[in-house]
Amino acid sequence: MATEVKLPRLGQGMESGTIVKWLKAEGDPVEKGEALYELDTDKVTQEVEAEASGVLLRIAVQEGEVEVGRTIGFIGEQGEAVVESPDGDSAGAAAARAKVEAPTEPSPREPEPTTAAAPSTNGRIKASPLARRIARERGIDLASLTGTGPDGRIVAEDVERVQAQPTPASDSLLLARAPSREVESRPLTSIRKTIARRLTQAWTVPAFQLTVDVDMTRANELVAGQRELNPDVRITVTDVLTKVCAQALMRHRDMNVQYADDALLAFPSAEVGIAVAAPQGLVVPVVHGAERLTIAQIAQVRGDLVGRARDAKLRSDDLEGGTFTISNLGMYEVDQFVAVLNPPQASILAVGATRERVVPRNGDLLVLPMMTMTLTCDHRAVDGATGAEFLKTVKAFLEDPGLAL
Amino acid sequence: MAKVEEKKDALRKDELKDVLREMLLIRRFEEKVEERFRAGELPGFLHVAIGQEACAVGVCRALEDGDIIASTHRAHAHTLAKGTHANELMAELYGKTEGCSHGYGGSMHLYDIARGNMGANAVIGGGLPHITGAALAFQMRGEPRVAVAFFGDGATNIGTFHEALNLAQLWQVPAVFVLEDNKWAESTPESQHSPIRDLSERAKAFGMKALKADGQDVEAVYKAARKALDHARSGKGPVFLHLDTVRFSGHYIGDPQVYRPKDEARELRSKRDPIEILRERLEVGDDELAELDAEVTEIVEASVEFAKAGTDPAPDDALKNIYA
Amino acid sequence: MPELSYREAVRDALSTAMREDEDVFVMGEDIAEMGGSMGVTHGMLEEFGKERVRNTPISEMALAGAAIGAAMQGMRPVAEIMYEDFMTLAAEQVVNQAAKLRYMSGGQLTVPVVFRTQGGAGWSPGAQHAQQLEAWFVHIPGLKVVFASTPEDVRGLLWSSIYDDNPVVFFEHRTLYGIKGEVPEKIEPIPIGKARVHREGEDVTVIATGRLVHESLTAAEEAEKEGISVEVVDPRTLQPLDEEALVGSVKKTNRAVVAHEAVTRMGFGAEVASVLQYQAFDWLDAPIERVGAKFSPLPFAPVMEQFVVPHAEDVLAAIKRTVGRNGN
Repeated sequence: MATEVKLPRLGQGMESGTIVKWLKAEGDPVEKGEALYELDTDKVTQEVEAEASGVLLRIAVQEGEVEVGRTIGFIGEQGEAVVESPDGDSAGAAAARAKVEAPTEPSPREPEPTTAAAPSTNGRIKASPLARRIARERGIDLASLTGTGPDGRIVAEDVERVQAQPTPASDSLLLARAPSREVESRPLTSIRKTIARRLTQAWTVPAFQLTVDVDMTRANELVAGQRELNPDVRITVTDVLTKVCAQALMRHRDMNVQYADDALLAFPSAEVGIAVAAPQGLVVPVVHGAERLTIAQIAQVRGDLVGRARDAKLRSDDLEGGTFTISNLGMYEVDQFVAVLNPPQASILAVGATRERVVPRNGDLLVLPMMTMTLTCDHRAVDGATGAEFLKTVKAFLEDPGLAL
Repeated sequence: MAKVEEKKDALRKDELKDVLREMLLIRRFEEKVEERFRAGELPGFLHVAIGQEACAVGVCRALEDGDIIASTHRAHAHTLAKGTHANELMAELYGKTEGCSHGYGGSMHLYDIARGNMGANAVIGGGLPHITGAALAFQMRGEPRVAVAFFGDGATNIGTFHEALNLAQLWQVPAVFVLEDNKWAESTPESQHSPIRDLSERAKAFGMKALKADGQDVEAVYKAARKALDHARSGKGPVFLHLDTVRFSGHYIGDPQVYRPKDEARELRSKRDPIEILRERLEVGDDELAELDAEVTEIVEASVEFAKAGTDPAPDDALKNIYA
Repeated sequence: MPELSYREAVRDALSTAMREDEDVFVMGEDIAEMGGSMGVTHGMLEEFGKERVRNTPISEMALAGAAIGAAMQGMRPVAEIMYEDFMTLAAEQVVNQAAKLRYMSGGQLTVPVVFRTQGGAGWSPGAQHAQQLEAWFVHIPGLKVVFASTPEDVRGLLWSSIYDDNPVVFFEHRTLYGIKGEVPEKIEPIPIGKARVHREGEDVTVIATGRLVHESLTAAEEAEKEGISVEVVDPRTLQPLDEEALVGSVKKTNRAVVAHEAVTRMGFGAEVASVLQYQAFDWLDAPIERVGAKFSPLPFAPVMEQFVVPHAEDVLAAIKRTVGRNGN
């Protein structure tokens, strides 16, 4: 068998060389160790010795640049046949190339939520990171503040001085948009596309709505009481609503269902989703097993979910498995609205603002904190009476929380 | 590696065949390393000690148990001669965890502490002060051990050489400094890097005892090493052992040696090959040599298989072994 | 509690270790009869003899390298490099060898050596006898770096450094040798990698090393009078850095000043500031201030030396900038 003459790797990092000229011709005898050809590398032109003795049967590459490992000739016995492969690439060169490991690609970064300070007409708002955080948490628009720090920087104290907004039931970011004269075309984010697709799908479902007014006196007392008991956790009305709905779902198992193509799926536990307006769009993180959690625990879970929703750090198990959704637009002072179903869930509760209203009771006119809530149900899974009974229970629990025990 | 209870001051007749075999193993190992490097299989850069086998084998055979060595960037011969198996050495060159330095060091950082090999060093002269320090430790603890440093003629110019030998002689520590004088510092001939011709003068400048031997004659190397070790071991102070040797290959694998007269290497190979010299002296015939050759070649080829089948370290192993 | 000077505290750690452990010994230039250029090893030759208190020639590479060689054989040498500036000469052995031997051998070796050195400005030592080079050594994986600023700390940390199995670069400061401080009756080892809070405060954290710890405490007293509550923290170990303590403090106060005597630019403080910025970003109410020497070699004339090197008033000015308001 003829020996292949391959271009050797003559130095660390050498990938190729240029054959300048052969010092033997085809048919010449060759001794191992004899100079065979001249090679030009990055550093120097040098003679390369033959690694075998015999006859130079064939020169496969006469001159020019060749990769390390490529077959450039054959040495063997006189008269031997020579088999040339189409591209003289050798395993060695491929191995050498394969040895260089590609650096791992950094994973694509999650889109960052926009910060609370928007470009004002004068340019970037100067505020310390701490000030920004406090402003974000409290829903305060930095553009509305004057900074007392060096160079007019807004510092924490400046934000703290602003009277805190009434605590929104579900936190959201205020996105101040700069006024602009042209029509802007904003490409759809994947979240927006998902929302569009799913809610269009939801809209095709035969749904009905039920509305009821609730006296929130006792519920408000409950919130206040819970806050006193749990000073480290920010407890809101939404947390009470979550607990109440969870309890109600467990009492009305027919409500904790979903319509699937050939069956109704009944769930053992209340997985209550809470609609959150995150900067990237509407998301509905789920409080799993809400019927087993205390109000304080729900508040903690909700706080964590909302924080992560804002930072675009929700995981798939935060968003999956919900059986019911609460959407609270009360902090936006909406009196009443109808929420669109969150498929594949069978129902969603739209909660409005709690306001003082004059309410006749037993012949008297009372001024009570009233709230209107509207339940939307998927009629394929839930009938009117089932929905009505559920809603009645929710109202009862809110007006007399002891009934939920 | 021979391990006798009491070492004689000269190699015995029955040991010499073994010595020949050992030098041949190193030779074939180094040739295989050159071959595998050219085939693109070995990362990094490597320096082979073809032609200098007798220095490594002669000195290492003269050591007692407990003696230690520190080597240079041209470390394969020393490492094999000090007892590391070809498998572990080849595996290290391939960057595998089975390598003697577990893939962390490569050709210029070969360590085998359990076998008394304090390591190869990629910085010229970098290991010399460590040998002074190790010998100091032996002295302070009253241990009958000697620390031996290998280095080349190029290293006799660097600061650590002068500082380490100066201190060793000052404190009379049990060290032997072995100069493998192959007359080349990379591409610079000795006449261009040293203002003096006989590098033993450097040792004398420190007042250190200096011995000389023909580095291509393994028996001569052994005898001189024994003398040096005895001297150091008996508390008489360190010794400078000047071995006159030849580097057959280039400085590194792939070195075209454009700086070296073409015929020089060829002539030296024919006249001063330590394997040929011993073989002739022992009157080993072609058949017997071929047999030895086949034996050692098998070991070398097996070491390549062993290395290739070895385990690559996990990428984040890089963050281990930084701190104790 | 007994009182020791910083110098005595170093000597106490060395001597106690040498009394208890045959493997510990010291080597360096002029440390025997003369007792060291800073007097640290005064009296130790008499107690331990010249085998274990070794004068070396002026050859930092051999000094450092022999210490490394002995450590590789299981001894615990403490090599004294007379001036921090001469660490540049020993650096080949400290950086190329000591720091990397364990790693390159795949874990076969430990090198339990301590390189003790001292640096710092004051009394016109000039540009080649005053440098603070800790930034170079904290940058080398494989080394631990310690810089204590009180007698108690220097004693407890030198002890821990001697018994740490890794090479430790142990910085002392020349102007601190004379300061006195309370120390526990018996040596209490201080863990490497733990910071110390010298003074608690609410408004701003000053992270300081070496001489600047004392300057910062002075500045903190002044700041107190102006109603600014300052917390002063000494990392004590520069590598590994007690990030938890430093970040924790800044999260409490929301403002930070990092102070060292070394040149500010590209210094150790820059790394600390970066760590704080990253881990306490949302807690920062002001940019992180750095106090250090100006970017120049150390001049000889006292008025110029005074100008280049940082003092308490520089720390105070930085403190005020962090709590500053418009126009301040």
